[in-house]
Amino acid sequence: MSRVKPTVNFIHAWRHPDEIADEVEAELRFHVQMRTHSNIEKGMTPDEAELAARQSFGDFDQVKVSCCEIKRGFPFDLKRLRMGLYIAIACLAGGVSLWAVNMPHHNVFGVLWQLVAIAVLMRAFLIGRKRNNPHVD
Amino acid sequence: MSKAKAGLLQGTLDMLILKALFLGPLHGYGVGQRIAQISGDELKIEEGSLYPGLYRLERRGWIESEWDVSENNQRAKFYKLTRAGRKQLIIEEQNWERLASATMKALRAN
Repeated sequence: MSRVKPTVNFIHAWRHPDEIADEVEAELRFHVQMRTHSNIEKGMTPDEAELAARQSFGDFDQVKVSCCEIKRGFPFDLKRLRMGLYIAIACLAGGVSLWAVNMPHHNVFGVLWQLVAIAVLMRAFLIGRKRNNPHVD
Repeated sequence: MSKAKAGLLQGTLDMLILKALFLGPLHGYGVGQRIAQISGDELKIEEGSLYPGLYRLERRGWIESEWDVSENNQRAKFYKLTRAGRKQLIIEEQNWERLASATMKALRAN
């Protein structure tokens, strides 16, 4: 069940990007305010405290952009999805092979369909090979 | 090691955030404070870097957040550990102990 909420958040982040940006900004501003308050308690003037808080926080806008990007990021492990895709392609290739072997090839259409099946299998093989090793031409 | 030079190893921040939240729900500022507190002020986290870490963990489903009212009556986003996050913390702790023990062994070798 732990994937449900991240998925909902992911969809929400894509549907309402401005709302997410405002939410992130409000959260980061709260942090700076808390740090400012803490600095004032340590004896700084309000201006000094706010400046020090902003400095210790770092690049506010950059952090905001990073957070928004992460929020819009895909909430699933892409390696697993890719593995699932390869398994699906392998199953499809197996099915196509079986179908091609059992296809009657005593007419032109049968032979044609077998050629199409071979072409699909080769294409799937080449895509899989290229994805596994991007340096292969 | 001086406090100023006590930087964090990559990946350690996630574990520290999980550990801080293991002790109870907190807002982002509170997470930073708690990490400083439980490390005896030895670990100083760059405050801005805390938030991308929190958002990453939330995306993985290890923590979840909701807006609430803070101790000074301001609206703040509170984070808490999920069940998956608790499991992950145990894994991270075990990995860390293994790594630290192996590193110590290597350093003590003659």
